[in-house]
Amino acid sequence: MVSNITETFILLNYLIAITLSIVVALLLKLPFVPEKPIRFSWTKSALFPTPIFAIGILAIFYSVNFYWFYDGIILAVIIAILSGLFVKYLFDYVFPKPNTGEYNE
Amino acid sequence: MNEIIGVILASIISWINFVVIDTYFGLPEAPGVKGANIVGDSIKNRGGNLSGGFFQGNILCSPDASAGTLLASMGVMVLGFQGGLIAAFMVYIGNRLCADPGYAGTIGALTTTVIIFSCSFLGFTHIMFVIGMVIAITTIQGLNHSYSSKLLGLIAKKLNRETKLE
Repeated sequence: MVSNITETFILLNYLIAITLSIVVALLLKLPFVPEKPIRFSWTKSALFPTPIFAIGILAIFYSVNFYWFYDGIILAVIIAILSGLFVKYLFDYVFPKPNTGEYNE
Repeated sequence: MNEIIGVILASIISWINFVVIDTYFGLPEAPGVKGANIVGDSIKNRGGNLSGGFFQGNILCSPDASAGTLLASMGVMVLGFQGGLIAAFMVYIGNRLCADPGYAGTIGALTTTVIIFSCSFLGFTHIMFVIGMVIAITTIQGLNHSYSSKLLGLIAKKLNRETKLE
């Protein structure tokens, strides 16, 4: 754990996490953007929500001053890869689409 | 910067931020859940605008850019830049739990984080944006529903996001 990391380095780690999570999601054959109209689309894609998971979880670790090895880069890489895997394989189980069909009252 | 002037300017910035993002992401177009439909119809029956009513119903029923703006301001106040990113992540989870795709809330939280970070160089403090957002949301939800829904309906019309439902 390192405590004297500069803000520039932290910003760089976030950029690494964003870029790598998008790359991992694309390698796992997720679409780059949701289908149009995007504002009503429920499709998971490389651009949304994969980087949101990566930077959100990374921010939780950094906010408690947990950086691990190499000024937090290793943590950023691991979280980016796990975010891509999560969105591809576990997302629908954790956040299922709402049932928009008929329901019994 | 003078606190009062700062709060007024922060209210205006927050108001524009959340109204434009929520409108752009289609909140006035359709009610996402049944509750938003009921709010929209109720506001229309009281002399308001249906598009504005759906907007108000949607921000009431799920954390859209309004909640994203408020939570990101609070996150930045508590944890700095990283608090805003955590807020965006939490707002996204909240959105999915409320049967909402989550674009408006998450992007609203991220833009707010960037705005607060940029405005801090101009002398704005984080607390100004927290108060500013509370004032901004009060002007929409807390003063007069029929007038505010008409204003929101007008903005929706300008951005081509008016509802096609009757």
